[in-house]
Amino acid sequence: MAIRSTFTVPKRFQTISLALMAFGLLSIIGLWVTSGSSDDPKEQARFWASLLQNSVFFLLVVNASMFFICITTLAWGGWQMAFRRVPEAISAVVPVIGVICGAILLAIVFGDNHTIYHWTDAEHVQHDPILSHKKGFLNKPFFAIATIITIAGWSLLGYKMRQLSRKLDNEPLATLEDRKKYIFNNTVWAALFIVLFSLTVMSSIPWLWLMSIDAHWYSTMYSWYTFASTFVSGIALITLFVVFLKNNDYLEYVNNEHLHDLGKFMFAFSVFWTYLWFSQFMLIWYANIPEETIYFQPRAHGIYKGIFWLMFIINFIAPLLILMTRDAKRNYGTVALMAVLIIFGHWLDFYQMVFPAVSPNKVPNIIYDLGIALGFVGLIMFATAKALTKAPLLARNHPFVKESLIHHT
Amino acid sequence: MSLLRYESQVRAPLVDGTKDYHQVTEDICRPVEAKPSRLWWTGFLISLGLLLFGIVSVTTEVIYGTGQWNLNRTIGWGWDITNFVWWVGIGHAGTLISAILLLFRQGWRTGVNRAAEAMTIFAVMCAGQFPVWHMGRVWNAFFVFPYPNSRGPLWVNFNSPLLWDVFAISTYFTVSLLFWYSGLIPDLATLRDRAKLKWRKAFYGAASFGWTGSTKHWQRHESLSLVLAGLSTPLVLSVHTIVSFDFATSVVPGWHTTIFPPYFVAGAIFSGFAMVQTLLVITRKVLALEDYITIEHIDVMNKVIVLTGSIVGIAYLTELFMAWYSAVDYEWFAFKENRLNLNSPYGWSYWLMMGCNVLSPQIFWFRKMRRNLFVTFFMSILVNIGMWFERFVIIVTSVYRDYLPSAWSTYYTPTIWEVGFYMGTFGLFFTCYFLFSKFFPVIAIAEIKHILKKNGENYKAKMTKEEEDTVTQFGEHHLHEH
Amino acid sequence: MAKKKFIVGSFTDEAVLFPAVKKVRRAGYKLHDVFTPFPIHGLDKEMGLRDTSLHTAGFIYGITGTSTAVGFITWALTIDWAINFGGKPYFALPAWIPVTFELTVLFAAVGMVLTFCWLCQLAPFVKKDHFNPRSTDDTFVMALECTNATNEAEAQQFLQSIGATDVKVEVKETGWWLGSYANDKMRFEKN
Repeated sequence: MAIRSTFTVPKRFQTISLALMAFGLLSIIGLWVTSGSSDDPKEQARFWASLLQNSVFFLLVVNASMFFICITTLAWGGWQMAFRRVPEAISAVVPVIGVICGAILLAIVFGDNHTIYHWTDAEHVQHDPILSHKKGFLNKPFFAIATIITIAGWSLLGYKMRQLSRKLDNEPLATLEDRKKYIFNNTVWAALFIVLFSLTVMSSIPWLWLMSIDAHWYSTMYSWYTFASTFVSGIALITLFVVFLKNNDYLEYVNNEHLHDLGKFMFAFSVFWTYLWFSQFMLIWYANIPEETIYFQPRAHGIYKGIFWLMFIINFIAPLLILMTRDAKRNYGTVALMAVLIIFGHWLDFYQMVFPAVSPNKVPNIIYDLGIALGFVGLIMFATAKALTKAPLLARNHPFVKESLIHHT
Repeated sequence: MSLLRYESQVRAPLVDGTKDYHQVTEDICRPVEAKPSRLWWTGFLISLGLLLFGIVSVTTEVIYGTGQWNLNRTIGWGWDITNFVWWVGIGHAGTLISAILLLFRQGWRTGVNRAAEAMTIFAVMCAGQFPVWHMGRVWNAFFVFPYPNSRGPLWVNFNSPLLWDVFAISTYFTVSLLFWYSGLIPDLATLRDRAKLKWRKAFYGAASFGWTGSTKHWQRHESLSLVLAGLSTPLVLSVHTIVSFDFATSVVPGWHTTIFPPYFVAGAIFSGFAMVQTLLVITRKVLALEDYITIEHIDVMNKVIVLTGSIVGIAYLTELFMAWYSAVDYEWFAFKENRLNLNSPYGWSYWLMMGCNVLSPQIFWFRKMRRNLFVTFFMSILVNIGMWFERFVIIVTSVYRDYLPSAWSTYYTPTIWEVGFYMGTFGLFFTCYFLFSKFFPVIAIAEIKHILKKNGENYKAKMTKEEEDTVTQFGEHHLHEH
Repeated sequence: MAKKKFIVGSFTDEAVLFPAVKKVRRAGYKLHDVFTPFPIHGLDKEMGLRDTSLHTAGFIYGITGTSTAVGFITWALTIDWAINFGGKPYFALPAWIPVTFELTVLFAAVGMVLTFCWLCQLAPFVKKDHFNPRSTDDTFVMALECTNATNEAEAQQFLQSIGATDVKVEVKETGWWLGSYANDKMRFEKN
């Protein structure tokens, strides 16, 4: 079959993504019936916590694509140009999941149920000296404004970056000066995104959305840790789409070399994630201060220890051993399998970040959460595929694209 | 596989001027083969003098004991640990440049990696002095190693971060040295084959290990470099991580914070690059290597400085925020009263650190500033001062007023022998660097040749056709040629 | 000592060298070695050299380091002389990770460098022959080994015809310093 330059969504792919979305919706309904509609606030919270965990995780993962684009732009990378349109398409899903995620977060914060975010309970905060101390940061208006600005900011700057890329499709840059100017223009916008990214994902947003679930607990590493988790998953997601498109005879110029580099990224950032995981865990374990160890008690030793150690194995041991060799990183099957595993592993990571505080006495039935996760996967498949159809699969007039063709590791 | 060496003309060349392979050899070997200049002698003798001062200071300390340093306070280690951590931090950029940038395939590393790696090794040597001489009974220094001894045998405490330091620093030194030297071997062979004087033939003959440039050897050499880079990358991270553990495993306010490991690493890279800038801005001028260490290199390194400076800035603010957010009184006191408060005894050092490390590097957002040598040089000094004060802030402000008011004491002034010791490490560092720049090629000759046809100015100029080709044309010409 | 004869040709451009290597092998000459001033990617493949397995050795050294560290510390702190440090369990694995990691890297790096030196027979004060001192400067030097079947004049002419400059015949004493690829599957293709 000839290589095609514009993407048309295969029928089967479309069906599967729709089926997954339907399945996700069913899971939400199922969980609503069993938990969400219950009178017990703890049960209700279990429903909302599942939505929170899934939407935040997948939002951060798709947003990692834009981070990848911006950081390679700033580093003047050329190798990724052969598949640059893939992260672009994935990042186009940010506004979609962003709206869903924002709605869920605001619903939780402004709702009557305070099990997830204790600090929303004015009555309780009054009698809790620690929470009333934190009122300056943990309060509803600030949460709402920060959430809305953040999601809007990611979407808008991401849109701008994609526009810059698309603009070239119809109007090639005639002179060297134009190309230099274009690259400069790109770096300016990419830098803006990175600044926003560091003020949100690398610092404040994980504190607000996730760490405040354990409202008394704190860790300075938390946001960087969250970032590492979602960045490695984001790379895995990009890899999956690249492999999918390659298998369907798209992406003419992508070859083993590019796959190898994506594999290296997955390997390296899995190790990086482990480094942050270990640093946070070991320091808290070593100092042994009750205010801090309370976080790891249910996770590493309590009822969540199965999930905790399983995700550690999936996220560290598996990539370390399997992706170490050169041949493995150049094998489409192995890399795709590892990408799926890594996304699942970090989804589990988010699971153990959210649920021990919400449901301290029993591990919820994870089947529902997995079902909802599949719904989000379907949504990402559907929306990314749609975004992919809107532009040629090769940013053919980008000044660095030719470097990507002859790229070898 | 395409043999074409192409990169976009949008990128500035990394080797300026009209060069061929022989010219590269000539240019880089010239300073090694010429007689040392008067400037070199002056600098070398000054460094040697400083080193001598250091040796005298350390000798006094060994003879009379650490009492010479007037350490009878809770923060007696303030000066020496600050110096130690500062030097270790500087010793990070070299391996970062050679290892991580090798893995990321950043071509510009070839111009600066050799000198940066050398600098790394010398800085680690300097850093090592502080804990060793501070032991007081330095003849017992070998106690830090786990060896079968007559004390039981009582083993060293593997749970102690200070012991981790011993392993981390010695491993780092060894691996950096191996990495550096294995890269040097081919270049020393070049010098050997060019040598005319007898002692040169003997010296470079011995030092080049009999390297021939055989294809099989190159193949193994490439594999070795790649794996060493892969090993060094986590190693660089681990070293400053472990240094940060010295502080962070404790329960001292301002020290026990989980972000310390990555933030120390970012800070180390930050100060390391600043020191590389200080040295290279001078080296390229004195040795006339402007064609190889171009303004482009300076520009890129300044970008790294603004990046790491900002990462460090986020970490500072995270720490500060968490000190408040944690609602732990002691933690907040350490930040609010000991650091933020400008009227407190050391409040000034916190603001100095913020100014030098976070605010001032922001001028490197502007291309004009990044490419200005004076600004670069000035900033590199400023960053190094700032990073010295970062360690000072962490160490001194956290312990001079901690849990027990009865143990509160303000910082002491270092004695002349402590200052001498610190100056002595500068002497050691620069003496080594001067010797290195005289007897070894300060730029990796083989690596420059490797990138020459892709990044050299005269070769890039010939790539106009490829530059103007459309992707399709380009692909047809270069992908299907086999 | 036995002596061997070599035909040595110099090349100035790697773009000429690549096809030349191919032609030499196709013509059936015994390619002794190619000396280059810097690594040339793909030349090893072109010469038919097998991949190096140095990195595998590195991996083995690395896990040796890991197990040495974990094994020794476990023995020292839980069996030989167990001491309670700060209320931690005797088997305080998280605290041992740093030392374990360092030893892994140390063993792997030192082991690999020594293996590299051994395989390439490199050491201080070693002297080796590489036919042309310019091969560490700007010249790519190809050496063909003369066998009984080799016609010297013809071979010299052949080298010249494929782009070599400065072709000459050299006689060397054989020995380890000349290096050998006897174990390195070299396929000498005959047309």
